[in-house]
Amino acid sequence: MKNTINRIVIVGGGTAGWLSAGIIAAEHFMGEKSSSSNHNFHLVLIESPDIPTIGVGEGTWPSMRSTLKKIGISETDFIRECSASFKQGTEFHNWLYGKDDTYTHPFTVPHNFNETNLAPHWQQLREKVNFANAVNPQSALFEKQLAPKNIATPEYSFHVNYGYHLDAGKFANLLQQHCVETLGVEHISANMTAINSAENGDISSISTDTHGVIQGDLFIDCSGSKALLLGEHYGVPLVSKSQFLFNNCALATQIPYQNSEDPIQSATLSTAQTSGWIWDIGLPTRRGVGHIYSSDYTTEERARSELLKYIAETASQDAAADATIRKITFDPGHREKFWHKNCVAIGMSSGFIEPLEASALVLVELSAAMIAEQLPANRKIMDLVAKRFNEKFLYRWDRIVDFLKLHYVLTQRTDSQYWIDNCDPSSIPESLQELMDIWQYQPPWHRDNYHIDEMFPSASFQYILYGMDFKTQLDPRFKRTDRETADRAMGLFMENAKRTEQLVSSMPTNRELINKIYKYGFQKI
Amino acid sequence: MSNYVVLSPATHKNTHVLTERGEAQGDSIQYSLIYPLEFRNIQSCYPIFFSKSGETGEFFPIALFGFENNENLFLDENGWSAAYIPMMVERQPFLIGYQGASEDDLKPIVSIDMDSPKISEDEGQALFDKDSQPTEFLKAMMTKLESLHHGHEHNKGFITALTAEDLLEPFTLEITLDNGSTNQLMGFYTINENKLQELDGSTLADFNSKGYLQPIYMAVASYARIRALIDKKNALTK
Repeated sequence: MKNTINRIVIVGGGTAGWLSAGIIAAEHFMGEKSSSSNHNFHLVLIESPDIPTIGVGEGTWPSMRSTLKKIGISETDFIRECSASFKQGTEFHNWLYGKDDTYTHPFTVPHNFNETNLAPHWQQLREKVNFANAVNPQSALFEKQLAPKNIATPEYSFHVNYGYHLDAGKFANLLQQHCVETLGVEHISANMTAINSAENGDISSISTDTHGVIQGDLFIDCSGSKALLLGEHYGVPLVSKSQFLFNNCALATQIPYQNSEDPIQSATLSTAQTSGWIWDIGLPTRRGVGHIYSSDYTTEERARSELLKYIAETASQDAAADATIRKITFDPGHREKFWHKNCVAIGMSSGFIEPLEASALVLVELSAAMIAEQLPANRKIMDLVAKRFNEKFLYRWDRIVDFLKLHYVLTQRTDSQYWIDNCDPSSIPESLQELMDIWQYQPPWHRDNYHIDEMFPSASFQYILYGMDFKTQLDPRFKRTDRETADRAMGLFMENAKRTEQLVSSMPTNRELINKIYKYGFQKI
Repeated sequence: MSNYVVLSPATHKNTHVLTERGEAQGDSIQYSLIYPLEFRNIQSCYPIFFSKSGETGEFFPIALFGFENNENLFLDENGWSAAYIPMMVERQPFLIGYQGASEDDLKPIVSIDMDSPKISEDEGQALFDKDSQPTEFLKAMMTKLESLHHGHEHNKGFITALTAEDLLEPFTLEITLDNGSTNQLMGFYTINENKLQELDGSTLADFNSKGYLQPIYMAVASYARIRALIDKKNALTK
């Protein structure tokens, strides 16, 4: 029996498929550019010419910068080709009281976060300055639509941490071109007609309508929510998380700018509604806007009218009248496991949840990176790698659910059953409830992490908790509140205020920087 | 701030330009843009590095005159003491541009910075004679400005070639003076000599035919001038 894992077959060519292909191919010698001749590693991507991609995931995490760098795409090309802009975090509106309230979750951690936890010291200042502004300069850039860097900053480097907003369709195209032309990925455009099994239950090959039978040692299911391999073929069920996170519908549209030089937002805007929330993502070319809601609490008609009202208020009546709205429905949750036999699911085939913290693309990056780095040497070892992969990603999904739910449980809104039910203890995961009980007496910090590669650092929990007015009762027995530490913390707050002033006065707007990138590009160094 | 106006005999009949150099004439500059065509002369006096434009992010070559902002270690009571002065410094307070209906029909337009400390009403070199004709001084300046314009185009190609081959790298120069104080020079770039040695024959031939190869080695050779610059600084801080 042939044992080594040499041929990887990816089924599906959306963002998930091509991003996975790029990440795995960049980690292995393949194609013409390889320096050794006695290897025979091969990566094939089969894409149906007939199935359109869904095109979600317009927001990324900062991790996308290192992912792109590793794949070998220049940031200038990426920004030009994918209509990308800079995302520095999320700005939440109306999540707390339902009216005129705002808080931010910036990507940069609080000042001096590795050594000092500023959260306890901010408790005394909470009436004077909001948490995010007190500990970090980034949120001040949001208000003025300023960029995280300038044209003289080398590509992928920054003044304040950032990810991207991007056009998912264009992103898949750029990745495809780079994978095929530079990384040696074989691209097959064909429809899958059958999945063929080996004696041990593995997938041995895939039959196609125009390209015959395609053999493989490992199959990656990037076929979207249908999960043709893991779901339909193997019957791995979906685990619903709708008891915690109620949203299961989205109405999505694109809004043109009134004027081609209109400002581009620095953060994803998230505005809470009666039974859901509206995302607003600024690309250089257009805004992507959508209402994500729960069909258990509101009707499509009502969700639509809230969306149109938002568009009319933030763009124009005309823009609202012209909007073409697309409806997407989903069952929030993930597969019971992601890697079964010699098949692993990445992207929507592995699960989908509301994009409140843009967790879709980062899960693709993390999944593909783990496969790339821990590619099983042979079939025998694959079951072990699969077991570890499943453990790791089940843990990650649980953390995502906890973190997203935190945004809901802290609300003080009682204007609809949706918000009331979101605060019901039965809708709160036990793991989150435990953390919240602890946080009543001590602010989140590094010790809250179980794993070295936690998806959400404790800084993120701080931004949500204190952005939403969570009260932590400090224990006076701790030295950390004594005079000396308090003075040091005060010094850090001052430093941050100075740095904020300096950045606000020196950073270009996103629009100015994007225009310069189109014209001059970034330098590599 | 600068205040450039188009040069004309009518407006600038009485305008004079001071040719002395010193702090009062605005020569306290830490570095100046230079052109590859003058690297041979530059390297005999100054270290050659590269800097990045804050406006476009693009690289440009510079000659270094000091270790701090507004420090020009070549200025002394006799003016600017060096065998060669960079073209971009020499051209002050003039600027050249071209205007015309088509590429073949371009006419040089010379502007002058009326806010420059080098401008005077009665001292220094006159620009036009009694018959409103350019003086020898202005004619010589025009020639310099034209070669500056050609140098500009050549420089663009030079920089594109350097970045395409990854031949630039950032560096930090740490200098300890005789009095124990340290100066750190940051934000400049140098030629990556390892990458330079790895260039293949065809790239070298291409560089040579375009006039890029000699300036690259002139830049590398110029690092020897850092010592002289440190000596000047030491002499000042004694």
